[in-house]
Amino acid sequence: MTQNAGCVRPPLLEVAGLRKTVKVGFRRRPVEILRGVDLEVHQNDVFGLLGPNGAGKTTTIKTVLGLMRPSAGSVRLGLPDLSRVGYLPENPYFYDYLSGREFLSFCGQLFGIDANVRRERVDRLLAEVGLEAAADKHLRKYSKGMLQRIGIAQALINDPELVLLDEPMTGLDPIGRREVKVIIQRLQERGKTVLFNSHILSDVHELCTRIAIIRGGTVVWQGTVPEAMAEAATLDDFFMRVIAS
Amino acid sequence: MKQVGAIALNTFKETIRDRVLGIIVVFALIMIAGGLWLGSISLGEGGRMMKDFGLVAVTLFGLIVAVFVAAGLIHKEVEKRTVFVLFSKPVSRTAFIVGKFLGLCATMAIVMAGMAAFLFVLVWIVDGGFSGMLLLAVLLIYAQLLVIIAVTIFFSTLGSAILASVLGICVFVAGQLSHNVLSLSRLGQNAATEALSWVVYVIIPNLSAVDVKPAVVGEQVVAWSSVGVWLVYLGAYVVVCLGLAVAVFRRKEF
Repeated sequence: MTQNAGCVRPPLLEVAGLRKTVKVGFRRRPVEILRGVDLEVHQNDVFGLLGPNGAGKTTTIKTVLGLMRPSAGSVRLGLPDLSRVGYLPENPYFYDYLSGREFLSFCGQLFGIDANVRRERVDRLLAEVGLEAAADKHLRKYSKGMLQRIGIAQALINDPELVLLDEPMTGLDPIGRREVKVIIQRLQERGKTVLFNSHILSDVHELCTRIAIIRGGTVVWQGTVPEAMAEAATLDDFFMRVIAS
Repeated sequence: MKQVGAIALNTFKETIRDRVLGIIVVFALIMIAGGLWLGSISLGEGGRMMKDFGLVAVTLFGLIVAVFVAAGLIHKEVEKRTVFVLFSKPVSRTAFIVGKFLGLCATMAIVMAGMAAFLFVLVWIVDGGFSGMLLLAVLLIYAQLLVIIAVTIFFSTLGSAILASVLGICVFVAGQLSHNVLSLSRLGQNAATEALSWVVYVIIPNLSAVDVKPAVVGEQVVAWSSVGVWLVYLGAYVVVCLGLAVAVFRRKEF
């Protein structure tokens, strides 16, 4: 059931036969989380990674970033290193006693961004995610939605070519969701590539150019949104059909 | 190098702003001030009692801060998943461990300076003068605590924060006694015991070698060349501990 869109743009991220086994419990029982994930994310794609809880979406992203080592398979990133990649983890938690501005500046320092550029970029990103007023508040006083927004801002501090967002809409109110969607759309307009996980299929439908559906650690369908919509009335219906098959 | 500096500064800000640290320091100051009362009931030995008790309080509370903050330093990052943010950027595990260590060293310097300044003022009130030896004693306590921070960070990469704290305290206590163990084993004239004592003596940092508290109260003359050599040894001990912590941490997945 896996489709290929026949995309002519070069893949910015190519995942082939990715497998990951972890050992759990006292007896170190092996559990296979990924059983051969194949993905191709092309330049300027907004790529939606869909699947039920525990399907392996977050593990795939972590393996791409090197937070986990693959048991088998390969990840090929069409970028020199992680300095051109941005990442928002799921349910982000940051340093309690830093202000939003300090935190973004710290992230910029990790990329070695020059102090003047950093200052300008921090101000711009704070404005972009609507946190100017709370910029000097400690992060422990931020709401979940505000943390999600500062998380998106830190993912963009290095002006990345590839942005990986793990559940970026989680915990956001409708206004916050709208703002995140606008950010993703702007990134695409600027030629960036975005890969995100989401359970909110209406957002995926609205934003994505391509999607992949993961079930049980394997990609069971991959293609464009119009291709998916050609097979069902809604993306929800299509997703349910693919998962059930 | 810039990354190490950024992580160190971030760690410093995070730890120095922690309210728990403030509470511990307040308790430390109260205990140091307790030396005034002990001095008042010690019949003409007020100055000596103030210095002695004050240095013990500085050591004790410095140890509490060093061990408990160091034990949580790595764990908090893993448990609260801030490591995802760090390691998804081009940050090496070495930069992370070294940055964390240096950040806590800076925090410890502030904590020790605060406690020492308070102790100097009290000694000046009781004794009517300033003691340079007291300053050196505090600096050498700081050196000992840096070793304990490195040891605790290493243990925290292996197990839980509680286990790392307990082991950190154990190493501090053992470090004060290791040379005694060696001396005692020599008295017993048992080759196996003496060999075992040598192993303990090499593995456990000999912290008592840089302890000049007795000299502050005039009970001992310090051999400074020997203290210098032991400081180099403790510096090497810190490097080895951090190296081991990096080696363990490199194997971790998140």
